[in-house]
Amino acid sequence: MIQIISGIQNTTAALQAEQTRLDVISENIANANTAHGVDGKPYQRQEVVFESALQQQIGADNANQMPTLKVARIINDNRPPVQIYDPGNPDADDQGMISMPNINIHEEMADLISASRTFEADLAVVKNSRSMAMETLAIGKH
Amino acid sequence: MIEALFNQPGYLAAKKALDAVTLRQEAIANNIANLETPGYKRMDLAPTFQSELENACSAGDAQQIASLQPVLAVDASAVPGGLDGNTVHLENELMQMNQNGMTNALETQLVSNMLSKMRLAITGKS
Amino acid sequence: MSPISGITPLPPGALPGADLLGSSVTSLPGSSAVGGVPGLAPAQPVSGDSFAKMLGNMVSDINTQQNTATQTVNALQSGQNVPLHQAVIVMEEANVSFQLMVEVRNRLLDAYKEITSMQI
Repeated sequence: MIQIISGIQNTTAALQAEQTRLDVISENIANANTAHGVDGKPYQRQEVVFESALQQQIGADNANQMPTLKVARIINDNRPPVQIYDPGNPDADDQGMISMPNINIHEEMADLISASRTFEADLAVVKNSRSMAMETLAIGKH
Repeated sequence: MIEALFNQPGYLAAKKALDAVTLRQEAIANNIANLETPGYKRMDLAPTFQSELENACSAGDAQQIASLQPVLAVDASAVPGGLDGNTVHLENELMQMNQNGMTNALETQLVSNMLSKMRLAITGKS
Repeated sequence: MSPISGITPLPPGALPGADLLGSSVTSLPGSSAVGGVPGLAPAQPVSGDSFAKMLGNMVSDINTQQNTATQTVNALQSGQNVPLHQAVIVMEEANVSFQLMVEVRNRLLDAYKEITSMQI
């Protein structure tokens, strides 16, 4: 397929990766108070692991290879759930303790902000590359 | 005979600068994409290209200009912003991207001007 | 833009009046009048080479350039790693050369008409 806007293949991958991260963070925040999930256990916080690998460029020389970003996997964080004393809750055990997901809202919000920032920066890159390509196409037009 | 028409140092230099701009945009895009990747070192044009181009331009040597080749390299002067070793700073990358965009506008205009002048010389009308 | 193919260099004597002009044509009319195109070297008055031969060389150079332009654009369209500015600039240069050739042809035709309309 013809490549009019060059050099933004990694940006596309990064946009997808950041979108995944945003989805995961939103789910963490939404389930911050889920003490009783589908499997009967409290919600376990999820995390996204990025990895970067050398991009294989078809037809280009090796001098300009750059690492590219992708989401390796979504893993379950292994923080143990916190125990909270809440005897009025129907899920409480005989001591009145209930297990809540170990999700720190402030931490999630900070992650959300940084993921959004990267996402918007990648969008700015695409916009910028596009306008540069338009300028290039106008070469020689009278 | 046709080569003489297009072999002027200023014109060749503008075309080389466009090569460099394209490469640089790729590097900056990759830097921003890896903003959160631990251990990523930012990449940019190898700094030798700029000085080589300046030398060749002041010498006015068309052959030398035509043989230059811009390449990308890891930026050795970048410092990590945090504990994970990532050397990309977003505000720096955005500023470099703006600068690169302006350079692209300038060089495409230079090339367009040269071509218009040639057309004017040939046909008597632009 | 269709590529020029099958243009053969003009055989000597094909252009009537070309020998009359001889090899004393040192520059294309009007081309040296514009400043800022400093590298445009006027065609050297080559001793021994006829004007028709010089013309033939020019036509084959332009043909090569058109072919290069077509190849570059084809490579771009087939998805190969051709930078966009390179394809655009190569196309524009081929256009300029083609215009040059057309203009030379027009001037030669004008010169021929003028010569043949001279009263002897």
